[in-house]
Parts: sequence; C-alpha cells; structure tokens
Amino acid sequence: MRRMSVYPQHGTALENLGLTAHEIQQEVENNTSELVSDLSDLSAGARFQAIRSLPMSYNERKAIRNRVNNIKLSKTILPTDCRQQVSLSFRRFRASLTSARQRLVVWQDTLKEIGGRFGTSVLSYFLFLKWLLKFNVFSFVINFCFITIPQIVHAPNISHVTGFRGLELLTGVGYFNQTVLFYGGYDGEVIVSKPAYNMQLAYFFTIAAYMVLCGLSLIYSMSRSFQKNFVLETGPVSGGAWRLLCSWDFSVVNEKAIQYNKNNLGIQLKESLSERLQMKNKISLSDRIKHLSLNLVAWLLCLLLALGSGAGIYFLGTEQLTFSFNQDPNDLVSEASTLLLPVVVSLINLIVPLLYSLIGKMETYSNPRAKIYISIARNIILKMSLLGILCFYWLNFVPDKIPCWESFVGQSVYRLLIIDFIFCLLGIFFGEFLRNVIGTMCIQSLGVPEFDIARNVLDLIYAQTLAWIGIYFSPLLPVMQVLKLFIIFYLKKLSLSMNCQPPKHTGRAAQIQTVFIALLFFPSFVGALSMVAFTVWSLQPSDQCGPFQGLKTPFHTIFNWTDSIQGPPETHWVWWIFENVLRSELFYYLISLIVLVITFFLWQITQGRKQLIKSLREQIVNGGKDKAFLLNKLQNIQRQRREIASYSPQPIRRSMRGSVRTVAQEFDQTTYYNPNWINTLPMDM
Amino acid sequence: MSHCSLLCQFFISEISAGIRLQCTVCHGTARMGNKQTIFTSQQLDAYQDCTYFTRKEILRLFHRYRDLAPQLVPLDYTNEPDVRLPYELIGSMPELKDNPFRQRIAEVFSEDGQGNMTLDDFLDMFSVMSEMAPRDLKAYYAFKIYDFNNDDFICKSDLEKTLNKLTRNELTEDEVRMVCEKVIDEADLDNDGRLSLEDFQHMILRAPDFLSTFHIRI
Repeated sequence: MRRMSVYPQHGTALENLGLTAHEIQQEVENNTSELVSDLSDLSAGARFQAIRSLPMSYNERKAIRNRVNNIKLSKTILPTDCRQQVSLSFRRFRASLTSARQRLVVWQDTLKEIGGRFGTSVLSYFLFLKWLLKFNVFSFVINFCFITIPQIVHAPNISHVTGFRGLELLTGVGYFNQTVLFYGGYDGEVIVSKPAYNMQLAYFFTIAAYMVLCGLSLIYSMSRSFQKNFVLETGPVSGGAWRLLCSWDFSVVNEKAIQYNKNNLGIQLKESLSERLQMKNKISLSDRIKHLSLNLVAWLLCLLLALGSGAGIYFLGTEQLTFSFNQDPNDLVSEASTLLLPVVVSLINLIVPLLYSLIGKMETYSNPRAKIYISIARNIILKMSLLGILCFYWLNFVPDKIPCWESFVGQSVYRLLIIDFIFCLLGIFFGEFLRNVIGTMCIQSLGVPEFDIARNVLDLIYAQTLAWIGIYFSPLLPVMQVLKLFIIFYLKKLSLSMNCQPPKHTGRAAQIQTVFIALLFFPSFVGALSMVAFTVWSLQPSDQCGPFQGLKTPFHTIFNWTDSIQGPPETHWVWWIFENVLRSELFYYLISLIVLVITFFLWQITQGRKQLIKSLREQIVNGGKDKAFLLNKLQNIQRQRREIASYSPQPIRRSMRGSVRTVAQEFDQTTYYNPNWINTLPMDM
Repeated sequence: MSHCSLLCQFFISEISAGIRLQCTVCHGTARMGNKQTIFTSQQLDAYQDCTYFTRKEILRLFHRYRDLAPQLVPLDYTNEPDVRLPYELIGSMPELKDNPFRQRIAEVFSEDGQGNMTLDDFLDMFSVMSEMAPRDLKAYYAFKIYDFNNDDFICKSDLEKTLNKLTRNELTEDEVRMVCEKVIDEADLDNDGRLSLEDFQHMILRAPDFLSTFHIRI
C-alpha cells in the first residue's frame, strides 16, 4: 500500500498508543500544513525541486503543489491572472530550455542501448570517451576560428615540395609539410584589417586559453567526482552488504545480461563469505614475508621493463634523427622509415601490459581492489615514461638539428597518433574477434574474452595526452582525434556486442571512474602542459617558419605587446598590472600563502566534522537502546493494564499514574535519555 | 468533436499521429495524436511540476502507456478518466519484463498496492527511476521495494526473499542465512535486528554506484 510520509510510521510504538482516527487525521493535517508553509518559503526553483522529491503518490504531491501555488498567489500584490501567467510562462521557458539541451546530446540512444545490455561499468568507458570527445571538439573549434581561418584568408606562400601521395596520411610530411596542419604553416605577421589582428598573439593566447580552460574543467570534474564517490569510508569497508542491496543494476534489460549478472552476484557473495572466513585465519609471518618479497620482485621487473623500453625508444630516436637529417624529400623509403619509431612505441604499448598481467598472476593480494589499482599504476608508469622520453628527446635534441623543428615534432605526434589508431583497430580484430573465435571454437576452456575496462581507458588517456602535447605544434590535430574517437566508439560497441562479455568484477566502478579522471589530470594533462609551457618559455623558436620567427622565446610576444601598450594612457593600466603584479614574485608568494592558510583551515573543519559524525553515530546507537528499553516498559505497562482491566476503571487511572511516575524516577538515573520522554506517552493511560 | 474523440477510436485503432482522418459516423475530421486533445495545459503543467519529465517526455510516456492496451486507454485525458492497467500488461514492458523486482516495483508505485497502475502511477514510477531523481528519493523507494512485508523495516525474511530473487538458487540454505546475518550486522546501526530507512540511507552513502544502478531508462 502506498503510504503518505506524513502518516505516523506503523510498526512502532505509536501504533500501540491507540490514537483515534480523528487524532490521526489531525496530526496528518498539521504535518501537511507545516510542509506547505515550509515549501512556500523557498525560492521558485528550489520549491519545485522540493515538490518533485516528496516521497508521496502523485495525487498527494499534486494536492500539495496546488496548495502551495494558492498560497503564493494569495501573497502577491499584482492581479492573480498576470502573476500566474508570468510565472507559468517562465516555468515553461525553463522546461523548454532543458528539453532543447537534451536534444543536443549526441549518442543518447546508443548509450541507452549499451547501458541496457552491458551494465553501468561498461557504460562508464563510453561516457569517458564521449567526455574526451567534447575536449577535442572544443579545441578544434577555437583553433580553427581564431588561428586557421585568419591564416587561410591571408595565406603566405606555401611551396609544396612534392605532390600529394598517399603516404602523407600516415607520415604527415610531404604535401602536408607547409600547410596549416602544422606549426610551420603559420605566419607571425600582423594582419592589416580594421582592428589589426596580431597572429602571434592570437596563436599564443588561443593555445593558452584552451589549456587553462581544460585544466579548470578537469579540476572541477575531479573534485566533484571525488566528493561523490570517496565519501565517508568509515564502518566495515569490505561489505557483502552493499552488494546485496545497492548493486543490482536495474537498467539492464537484456535477458542474457541479467542472468549473467545474477551469476556474478552469486559468485561474489560466495567469495565474500569465504573471505570473511579466511580473514578469521591469521596469515603467518613467513607467508606475509613471502608475499611481500614476491610483490617487490614483481615491481622491480615491471620497472625494469619500463626503463628498458624507454631506453630502447631513446636510442632508436637518436639514431633515426641522425639518419633522417639529410634526406631527399622525394625519397619514399626514408619517409616510410620515419614510421619505424611510432610502430615500435605502439608495439611496446601492446606487449608490455600483457607481460605485466602475466607477472601479476604470480602475486597474491589480500584485497582484489589493490590488484586493480596496482596494475593501473604500472601501466600508467610505462606509458608516461615512454611519453616522457619522447618529449625529452624532442625538446633537447631536435631544436638544434632540424630547421623547422616544431613542424617536425608536430609530424612525429601525428604519426604516433595514426599508428596508435591503426594498432587499436588491429587490437580489436586480433585481441577481441580472433580471441573470441579461439575461445569458443578451439580452446573451450578460455571462454569469451572479458571487456577490460582499465586497459581501454588507459589507451584513451594515452592518446589524449599525445593530442594535448601536439596542440601547440599542430593546431588542427584535434580533428584527427575527433575522427578517431568517433570510429573507435562504434567499433568498440560492435566488438562488444559480437565478441566480448562484460567484466565480472564490477565493484566500486564509481571510484575507479574517479581514479581515471584523476589520472587524466595528473600525469596526463599536467605533463602535456609542462611540456608546452617549457617550449613556450625557454626554447628558441625556429628562424625560418612559424609565427614566432625571430623572437628569442615565444613568450617574448607578450613582452613586445606590453611594451607597445605602455605608451598610450588608456592601456597603461594593463601594462602596469602586468609589470608590477604578474611579473613580481611577491604576488605569487602572497597567493600561495593565502591558499595554504585556507587549505589548513578547511582541513581543520573536516576534522571537526569527522568528530561530529562519530558522536552522532554513537547517539543513534544510544537512541536505539532507548527505543528498545522504552518499548519493553510500554509493553509491561500495557500488560499490567490489561490484567487489571476487569476491575473498576477509576482506581486504575490513579494507580497507573503512580506507576508511570515510578518509571520516570527509574529513568532519572540514566545519563543519555531525553528528559521530555514522558510527553511522548499517551494521555489516556 | 467530443463525440469524435471517443467514437473515432473505435474505427481507427492503430494509426500513427498527425494524420487527418474522416470519421465515418459524423463525417467530421479528427487529428489523432495532437497533444492538445490529450491533456489540458494545466494537467501538463502539473505533470511537469510534479515529475522530472519535460513535456515531450510526458507525451512520449503517455504513448508508451497507451501502447500497452490501446483499447483500454483513451486518447483524451482532459476529463481524467479512471483507467487502470492490470499488472500483467505493466510487467510485460521490455524495460521491466526481465527485472527480478518488477512485481515489487509495480506494487510500490501503484495506488491499490496490487500492481495495477493508472497513468499517474506510471509516470511517477518512471520519474523516480529516471536519472534526474535525487539520491534520497531513490533510497526511499528502493527501501520500499525491498520491504516485502510492508512493515517499514527490512527484516531477515525480506533479505532472504531479495537474495532468492537475485541469485538463481546458487547459494545453499546456510550461505543464504549467513549472508543475511552479515548484511544486518554491517548495516544495522541501532541494533534492533532489522534495517530501518535511516540504516538503509546510511548504507547507500557507502555505495556511490547506487544512483546509476537504481535507474530504468525509458
């Protein structure tokens, strides 16, 4: 039966109080009018949110909403018609805005289908992909509008050394060399138009603005996600409890997937039961030392592998650099040999994680979550060390040796992205399709492959890091990333439905989601940002091409610009702020000090709140004890009352009052009861 | 026109929206599926204010409701007809038909408690199960769904029934009992041997996935 929340709860002591129907109705009416007056005090938006989240049936909610509306109308000064019309039209406008916004969401139906068939953890991978797509589309739009279009309109002389051959799509050199795809195709002149458009400043500020906005958006998402998902881990953490009541995925509608989920849940519950029994057996000291030493050995092996791959890439890179320095632009073979480095990098990215999972099989962990986090950490170390080595070699050796070195770096990043995409396609074919065929037809024991969410998300993070590194050197690189993400979305969906099954251990998907967002911020975004910042701040741009030709560092555009605005009095204040505030160290010391003080303050508040939660929890436990005690007393008193109910009623009241008073005296001795408890007992006892 | 809106359904049953038709009885024309003949604007405003759906979604859900039994549900809701679809039809919807808790969901959201739903109950159900409903509201209804005996507490027998619906008889009797004991051990804060709504809401705090899993897409 539907119950109104304003009704007194059944199954508690109040039911035994024997309130008459009239009194119950009175209480309901009081609660309702209290609720209505509370609601009418809120602002419009909050009021409708509160009405929507009332836990009642629809008719009751509508009744309350009508009452609140009548109260609001009666309070206004304007004639009721006008006011009603205005508020109505305003609400309809807001509703139409939300529905328009929903229509702009891309892939809405596809995501619903994926969630329905595979569950929320697999859906999180696709949502992550969609989120990355938004970054790239935004980057493409602002780069295209602010940098590329002015450049195309006032195009400098582009000399195509060679005609278009097919190899350009893979290597990026040749026909693409001097186009707007890369840094070298841009010019640093001031375009003479009604407001003069300084291409140098435009290039600098566009890239800087995009990086800053990206960083802010990442920090915001990370903190929101952290707040939602890492809340209050007190109490028993390893729980089978929440699995039973909170983890059933209602959004899955596919029959096979539901059976699959049921099986999984059964297995997980069994495992948690056996874990509970195991936790009771203490692990011996020698076993613990053995596990620890195995873990250390495994970590050492993984780090050695990562170091080895890094060194290999480094030597390959320097060798290729000396090889490719003097080359004829028409030589196809040497152009194709530039693809060797990206292919080796992608091979390492493919093979070494498999080795890591093999090494991981020999270790044992007490906590299955620790295993996932450690494997993620190792893979991230591998990928970031590869990227770090590449960046180091690009920034230290390339600028001296190659004439238009930024374009060279841009082309290298382009090649890495394309080859990574091709390997991703190959991975879908071999890793999932063939593995499925082998697992179902040839070697039955292997079974259908599981969709490894962590590995796929790390691949996405790696590609996005490359894209962020490449934006400065190749402003139109996000186009490629957008196309790539689009194709990967549909291919992965296809592969998922044909080849894979959803992962078995789906626990704590939301927390792993937070970890992925945090990894996207650090080391991925921070690394890319520091590389671009280093390039802009300290490296000398190439003399012959690009918008920053002839300057000492690209940052000198800002100095030149501020010098130019120093003179005229209208813009003098901008120069003053730049020279005396932004360039002085004192300003940054002060800011850091203030931020540190605020952080310490907030940390103290958090500590205080933790104490508060602890004491509130104790109060709940004590309240439960109170309730049990009072219920007992109540039942005793009622039993006594029934026993002497056959006698005259008059003396009962007096004796009952007496016994009630002795009960009150007993209560005086306890320290945690509510002194007003006697008011909660009914009056007609 | 009111004659048309009732009788024309008898003659034209499965025709899609927006087509102009000629009624053979009165020779008037009626436009089927035009939103102005389904709800009054006050009704639509009330639906929008009291559920998490936009106008478009409310109409789409109305057509989903109607598709379950076109002969029972009239196209004209302006005079608030008392139409109640039996549980068997609701339980046969693709979003619900394989859900192990479909009967409980229908019982919790229906007015009569038996699973027979009016349009208001139908909209309310999908509004609470949509992604826009807040955590507390979902926790309240999840609690009611798992409370099989409707006593406002999740006791051991409720947990056993939930467990049996969720696992396909994979656990033995002993294991079922142990799991239920473990749940109550971990989640019962006031130590009365059963879970109250507050205990359940506290447990939800530790499960950040709850908002995304307690969700039916329609």
